[in-house]
Amino acid sequence: MQKARAPAILFMILALVAVTVSGQSLEIPRAWDDRPDLNGIWQAIGTAHWDIQDHPAGGGPPEMGAIGAIPPGQGVVVGNEIPYQPWALEQKQQNFENRYTEDPEIKCYLPGVPRATYLPYPFQILQGTNKIMMVYGFAEASRTIHMDKENPEPAPIDSWMGRSHGRWEGDTLVVDAAGFNGQSWFDRAGNFASDTLHVIERYTHLGRDALMYEATIEDPNVFTRPWTIRMPLYRRLEEGAQVLEFKCVEFTESMLYDHLRRQPTG
Amino acid sequence: MQSKNVAYAILSVGAAGATLPIVTLAADYHHVHILAPSPIEAVGWYSEHLDCDPIADRGDVVRCADIEIVFVAQPTLGGTQGTGVNHIAFSFRDLSAKMEQLEAVGVRGSGVRLQRFEDGALYRDLAGLYQQGFIFDPWGTRIELIEDRDHLGFHHVHLSSVDPEATLAWYQNVLGGELTRLKGQIDGLLFDGVWLLVAQHESGSPAPTEGRTLDHLGFVVPDLAEASAEWDSQGVVVQDDSAPSRNDAQRGYLTGPDGVRLAVVEPGWVGVMIEQGEALAMRALEPYTVPLTPWGEPDLQGVWSGDAAHSIPLERPTAEEAEALTPEEAAARRERGTLNSIWGYEREWRDTTLGYAKSAPSRQVALVIDPPDGRLPPMTPKGEAFAAAERVDGGLPAGPEDLSTWVRCITRGLPRLMRAGVYNNGLQIVQGPGYVAVQKEMIHETRVIPTDGNRPHLGADLKQWLGDPRGYWDGDTLVVEVTNFNGKAPYLGAGEDMTLVERYTRIGPDTLEYQFTVDDPTIWVSPWTARFNFQKDDDQYELVEYACHEGNYGLTNILSGARATEQAADGDSNQ
Repeated sequence: MQKARAPAILFMILALVAVTVSGQSLEIPRAWDDRPDLNGIWQAIGTAHWDIQDHPAGGGPPEMGAIGAIPPGQGVVVGNEIPYQPWALEQKQQNFENRYTEDPEIKCYLPGVPRATYLPYPFQILQGTNKIMMVYGFAEASRTIHMDKENPEPAPIDSWMGRSHGRWEGDTLVVDAAGFNGQSWFDRAGNFASDTLHVIERYTHLGRDALMYEATIEDPNVFTRPWTIRMPLYRRLEEGAQVLEFKCVEFTESMLYDHLRRQPTG
Repeated sequence: MQSKNVAYAILSVGAAGATLPIVTLAADYHHVHILAPSPIEAVGWYSEHLDCDPIADRGDVVRCADIEIVFVAQPTLGGTQGTGVNHIAFSFRDLSAKMEQLEAVGVRGSGVRLQRFEDGALYRDLAGLYQQGFIFDPWGTRIELIEDRDHLGFHHVHLSSVDPEATLAWYQNVLGGELTRLKGQIDGLLFDGVWLLVAQHESGSPAPTEGRTLDHLGFVVPDLAEASAEWDSQGVVVQDDSAPSRNDAQRGYLTGPDGVRLAVVEPGWVGVMIEQGEALAMRALEPYTVPLTPWGEPDLQGVWSGDAAHSIPLERPTAEEAEALTPEEAAARRERGTLNSIWGYEREWRDTTLGYAKSAPSRQVALVIDPPDGRLPPMTPKGEAFAAAERVDGGLPAGPEDLSTWVRCITRGLPRLMRAGVYNNGLQIVQGPGYVAVQKEMIHETRVIPTDGNRPHLGADLKQWLGDPRGYWDGDTLVVEVTNFNGKAPYLGAGEDMTLVERYTRIGPDTLEYQFTVDDPTIWVSPWTARFNFQKDDDQYELVEYACHEGNYGLTNILSGARATEQAADGDSNQ
């Protein structure tokens, strides 16, 4: 152990020097234990919630006109390619075609990871003593990141949001998330994974009011190799900003249950 | 505390004119014996609120005028309600000022529970007698506060008897006292400036005082052996006291009418020796120091379980006189609640979630602690109308809107979502500086509460299902005021006009006390407060994701079942 430590420290010093030389400020907020302080309300900006890959502008439901149209966007997938297995690429295309009925988001289902991070809603991080809680603006989604469990424990049960274990690598929070139920999508374009999804997220300060978010996606049943998404998250700076309640279930009842309503007699 | 060796001649009592025998023995009040988990806290409470004086070197006693109140660290079976001692009374020079002062204390922790009159008033005038108001101490002793400037301080003990005249006669016969009328209006016995009064017990017979908060009343007699001989000849049995006295003075026990336990002590009696185990227990019950987060706020973090509180009714059942259930009764109540709720589920599934063991059921009789009778205040006409509408069977649901927001997996609403259900009662609290996140497992709802105390509420047009919480730290207590409710998940009718005040306090290493005060003047004539505890459960419990809406087959089945039922009925009527 002692032997391994020296090169690691040397590496960190070099990294610091490199960043300083490039002129970037490393003034980041620190928590009680001198770890980076992630407390705050954060939000992704961009169009990753529409499609995590490069996408041109596209039409939406005709009656929604320009409001329902899809804005163009540069992708957040590093290298832009999602290495689907052939069957999975077909599945993705089918998902896209059925997106107005099958997307979990349209049904107000829990968004899963990493999708919760870049939905167009703010989320709040509470950095506790031995847990970090992320409370998302969409559908009452939340995650409790266990900082106090040495090794990732298998999730007791599969879930939409999975089970998350965190650790610090220098000034980066690394979250290992697994135990997913395989029903989540990555975006409104139908990108998806299965219940063998394993996400490794990295949250790194870019200064006081921005984080770099990176998530490496592994799922041997869907992809041919791991791949990565990366995007900044911005602090919500409005005075009194808070994550408001978006209990979207009531807005889906018409879509989900109208066929079971009592029809007017006549 | 001098004894009066005065014999009283035959006197008539009350309208019926019962006769009393000649008395040769006279006693005085000596003490009131109250069971309180923390004598230190009780000494503080009676000193602060009722102007009693602590006694040096005796940390378990206060002196109130000439009466001692002795506090013993012992579990109680409940407060004074329903026993043969209706209340004890203290007299103050200015009752309105006193009541105002007590009202400001609040009910939290070892606070003051006010018992308002039906019109909401804190005190009233008893024509020709005095002004009176009622409170409870934190351990359930009912206390009357009056303004009788002739007798300030400890004023009287008011018994509750099935036969007040006979009871008064018994006390005069056995313990002496001067038979006289208080203010010329109420028959009573005067013992050295303190009255013994007896009221008619309202219904049934009083419960014995032994083991209740007010365990017994103590009287002093000059010589216990002599008195015992006297009582023996009257057929009154004296039980010996097994506890070792701190000095040579002796103590014995009598049982008075209506199950009121009486101690009789010799002059100078200063209590029993506290055994080492008991002393240790007292130390363990000293005020708990709430841990702080590394950044210096009270630390509420962890996994808590509401299982213990499952099946505690909101209101005190009208037939329930005890202040606490026995452990067996509590277990039976929770089992009944479980069976009533989920009759369709397998036993293995409902008893545990993923194999976790439940904490022991609470013995609390009801959640409501204010009003102290455990019943909600009277409703306004709007409240009554809501309650009446709730009782109407709406028939088959036409659509989701006819079902509860819980069945629809939208929300359980506040304060209901904090309350325990049959399963998934986990509560996870995570804090960051200036924020507390409170997550309820059922139906996965997380509330983020700012605690800086100076942030204005959201604008009046921005309403939410769970309102808008604003918190601050009151000592070790997180106080949260919630407003801006959208009113679509009303609690017993309270919605848009409700202000909910929650209080979270760690009262022990493993206990989180949760109190909530509901104030909706459009539904109830006065605010009311309820309380229950969460138990810390970090070691075995982990919240699971209660993805309610995603798996809501129940709602689909209820609606499709309703349509099928209607179709079948239509078919019948068409034939």
